[in-house]
Amino acid sequence: MSSRCRNGILVSLLISVVVLAGCAKRPAMTAASAPAPSGAAQATAPPATTPPAATTPSTPGGGTTSTTPGTPGTQPPSGGTSTPAARPPVSEFTANPNLKDIYFDFDKYDIRPGDAKILDSNATWLKANNNLVLIEGHCDERGTNEYNLALGERRAKATMNYLVSQGVQAGRITIISYGEERPICTEHNEACWAKNRRAHFLTKAR
Amino acid sequence: MRRLLTALLIVLVAVVPTPWRATPPSHGQGVDVYINITGGGTKKLNIAIPDFAVVAGTDTAGVGTMLASVTGADLTFSGLFSVVAATGSIPPNNPEALRKSWTDFAAAGAHAGVHGLLALRGPRVEGEMRLYDLTTPEFRLIASKKFDMAADSPRRLAHKIADEIVLQFTGEPGSADTKLAYVTGSRGTKEILIADYDGFGARPVTRNGSLNLMPVWSPDTRSLAFTSYKGGYPDLYRAFPFERRPEQTLAAFNGINSSPAFSPDGRTILMTLSKDGNPEIYALTLATGAFRRLTRHPGIDTDPSWAPTGRDVAFVSDRLGTPHVFVMDADGGNVRQVTFAGFHTQPRWSPRGDTIVYTMRQAAHDLWAINADGSNARRLTGGAGDNQGATWAPDGRHLAFQSNRLGSWQIFTMATDGSDQAPVTRGSGDFTSPSWSPRLP
Repeated sequence: MSSRCRNGILVSLLISVVVLAGCAKRPAMTAASAPAPSGAAQATAPPATTPPAATTPSTPGGGTTSTTPGTPGTQPPSGGTSTPAARPPVSEFTANPNLKDIYFDFDKYDIRPGDAKILDSNATWLKANNNLVLIEGHCDERGTNEYNLALGERRAKATMNYLVSQGVQAGRITIISYGEERPICTEHNEACWAKNRRAHFLTKAR
Repeated sequence: MRRLLTALLIVLVAVVPTPWRATPPSHGQGVDVYINITGGGTKKLNIAIPDFAVVAGTDTAGVGTMLASVTGADLTFSGLFSVVAATGSIPPNNPEALRKSWTDFAAAGAHAGVHGLLALRGPRVEGEMRLYDLTTPEFRLIASKKFDMAADSPRRLAHKIADEIVLQFTGEPGSADTKLAYVTGSRGTKEILIADYDGFGARPVTRNGSLNLMPVWSPDTRSLAFTSYKGGYPDLYRAFPFERRPEQTLAAFNGINSSPAFSPDGRTILMTLSKDGNPEIYALTLATGAFRRLTRHPGIDTDPSWAPTGRDVAFVSDRLGTPHVFVMDADGGNVRQVTFAGFHTQPRWSPRGDTIVYTMRQAAHDLWAINADGSNARRLTGGAGDNQGATWAPDGRHLAFQSNRLGSWQIFTMATDGSDQAPVTRGSGDFTSPSWSPRLP
């Protein structure tokens, strides 16, 4: 392609030369150049037509349906129902030195035997204390955003399921995926990636 | 040179039917199709674009020159034209001067010429393009069209004129009068911006200091759906960047609310929710707020992309161990696997419906294309950094994507055969997750 591109430029240049030579009184011609930046390019609003909004639910026949949950947004949809368990504010959770991170293999969300021992210890602490716990699921930078957000969710969920199997009440646990958005190590190598593929724990007193 | 001209003239004379003829052009009727741009071996048309001549008002800002320059850049980007710009204009209402100019340009090898006229009328600016066929002895007028725009966005006049010229020669408008939405920022804080397709006029859409991810344009170009952590959790919102209208919450369930994809008619948004236990694809009907679950599998199902017909949906599932691209009917039935043996995400169905572009992870990520039936997988990027996150231009002939080949993440564009890869953003910092808008109204 670069050769086709070069041909195009060549043609333009040839034309410029020919035209420059051929018509002294005509405006000088040059090969197409990049556009100059304009001061403040502003978008123009497309014509207004009222779009549908996600609002009052109806119940179409068949299939699994649910409704937009009422949440603290700038414009909460009217008529929606709340989520089954209201989510505690993320900002109220803080780091807890008693709960250790666990790690995952690349593109995996099963709990490795060594990490299960860490979770056993975390479960012991959680059963002895009444805190709410937030489990963060994280990924390394490999893989793409959309998939990694789902992968981080699976890691947090697998971690939660393990804790529940060890006797921690599910109602005390909230999960959140950050996908690849919050690495704790930013180099581009396996040592770093291994640290980023993790489940991290925060707690909040009740 | 002579060989090229001869070939071009043959192409010019022939009216070549293409598959696009089945779809009528979106503006105007009876457009003559001159170039077969769906076939291989497209030759470029030499087009002359002198400065626009001012017919009303005073052009103190050099708009007439800018319009010629931007129209030329747009036509060059289209891949169909080789542009000869000029530093002067052809005077209006002067047939002799026009004839003399076209004679000179034709002698220099131009096949077509654009006589641009500019009227500056206070808050409005009006541009007229008159397109001439310089291969005919009488310099036949192919088409003329006027566009009117607010005076603060004159570049859009050039984009509209370029799209019209592409329409006149191919039967389908170009993709110049469009926007790119993308994400900027780094760990912890990412905001969504929009800019013209050529990177000019960037301005923020979100400014909440949180993580704002995966913007996607609605088909009417009025809104962007995206995932934001502004409420703490990854919820799905919709912003209206051209209106004084607050963001709307689309989905805020327990778990992830991500990967939005508008249906071609704009009435439905597909998304990934994990509210029922693991990431599955759901359809939200905007008019009713009703959600319908499309996938049912214990693995990850995410990253939906509609076929332009609205009948099929491509998506990513790790149900076979690693992520691959699958296609299902829009009601969730009839799931079939499209890619095999590898790590494949981010399927993006082409506007013409025949191709799905996706991201393959090997040593780095690269973009690949495959026919929608799973045949003819071909690589589009390679050997230059990490490349991912493709989005189609509405003309189906260009893609934007993110690449870190220059050190930081930048938005690039390329032709759909992988040629002409060039950066759109060049700023410091990272620019990721592009979404190419449909043509603006």
